Amino acid sequence: MSSCDAIKEMLVLYAEEALDPEETRRVAEHLTGCRDCRAESEQIVRIREWLTDPGLFEPVQDLTWQLLPEKLAGRAGQLQGRRWGLFGLRFPKWALSAAALVALACGLIWTMRLRAPAPPGAQPALVAPGNEAFLDKVRTVYAREATSQYLAGCQGLLLDLACTERKCEGDRYDVSLEVARARQLLEQKRMLDAELSVPDVARAKGLCDELERFLINLSTAQTCETPVALHRMESLIEKEQLLLRIKVLQSGIS
Amino acid sequence: MKRVQRGDVYAYQELVRRYQKKVFRVISTYVRDPEDAVEVLQDTLLKVYTARSTWESRFSFAGWLYRIAINASIDRYRKSDRGRTSSLEDMMETQLHQSATVGSSLDPLDGICDRERRRLLEKTVRRLPQRQREVVSLRFFGDMKLEEIAAALGCPLGTVKSNLHKAVMGLKGMLLARKGVLNYE
Repeated sequence: MSSCDAIKEMLVLYAEEALDPEETRRVAEHLTGCRDCRAESEQIVRIREWLTDPGLFEPVQDLTWQLLPEKLAGRAGQLQGRRWGLFGLRFPKWALSAAALVALACGLIWTMRLRAPAPPGAQPALVAPGNEAFLDKVRTVYAREATSQYLAGCQGLLLDLACTERKCEGDRYDVSLEVARARQLLEQKRMLDAELSVPDVARAKGLCDELERFLINLSTAQTCETPVALHRMESLIEKEQLLLRIKVLQSGIS
Repeated sequence: MKRVQRGDVYAYQELVRRYQKKVFRVISTYVRDPEDAVEVLQDTLLKVYTARSTWESRFSFAGWLYRIAINASIDRYRKSDRGRTSSLEDMMETQLHQSATVGSSLDPLDGICDRERRRLLEKTVRRLPQRQREVVSLRFFGDMKLEEIAAALGCPLGTVKSNLHKAVMGLKGMLLARKGVLNYE
């Protein structure tokens, strides 16, 4: 292999800056004195430039790119709901299994009660004795899970709000995603209210309500907020120690 | 991506917004029809969501994403172009041989206008053998480093470098051959 052939084998990686220092030096030296290899190198550099041209395989400029993220997020949300969710809340697999077992147990008890003759003078009970405790336990597990989900959602939103860098007009920041998330979390909180009376999570009610007030304010914000408004929200999060309190509460109820 | 793994649909929406065009360009190197390419893109991005639990943070997310995109594109390509694959590769071989006969007096790549050049380049990229096309699309359309590509494709760095070399030389050869055809016309 002539010296030119060996150099030509390295030109693509030379243009990529992917050669080791010794090879780079050897190619550079050779190119200064060899017109043929220099011409070849220039062609390779040009093809590389063409490949980095943003117009290559350029997507058609239409609404697809604006609508696709929302459309796919919607479909993802549906998939999630179909798998493990109900009313927008997600449950772990074991919670669903537990719920199925409870339903089965209730069905069996009900069937047995229908078959067994009632003792004379006995009052009919809606739930078999001993089952109230079990049902309470299931409800507690569900309340814990729902509260934990709501707190995690709020925590994520507060963190994102503090780190938002999407500019919209001038020096304003785009908070449209955060506003939409705040609305979704408000809906989640509405479903959660009934569960917050369960003793195990009752202590979370204060903070959940406080977060709800914050979400209400955020949900009515403009989609393009001024740095001052954002700073005000961040100060409130910091002053009320919302993130810290969420963390402490989460470790307490999980 | 960690937020997406926790089921955060808004984080997923943001992720789609960030990657959709890059992934579209990678897919377009396999799927000619833009409408089909958008369909494959949607399938790919939904797969990212449904298979999110299988991604491990020690691996590059982009590599994982493009791997899904390439597999989906190849599936579509096989379904739609199965009959034409061999003839395209034959044509490429012929053109590579032709390119060897094209002289390099002055600069034959000069004079191709932007639009024509893009059209030609898109065609020639699609005609690269699969591994070379993967490397080119991940490097130039997916903005990945050679080391990341090696990890994504599960092959040694040397193989990636060699495929990149062959791909760029192949493209150069095909473009020169096409230029000859254009001159003749």
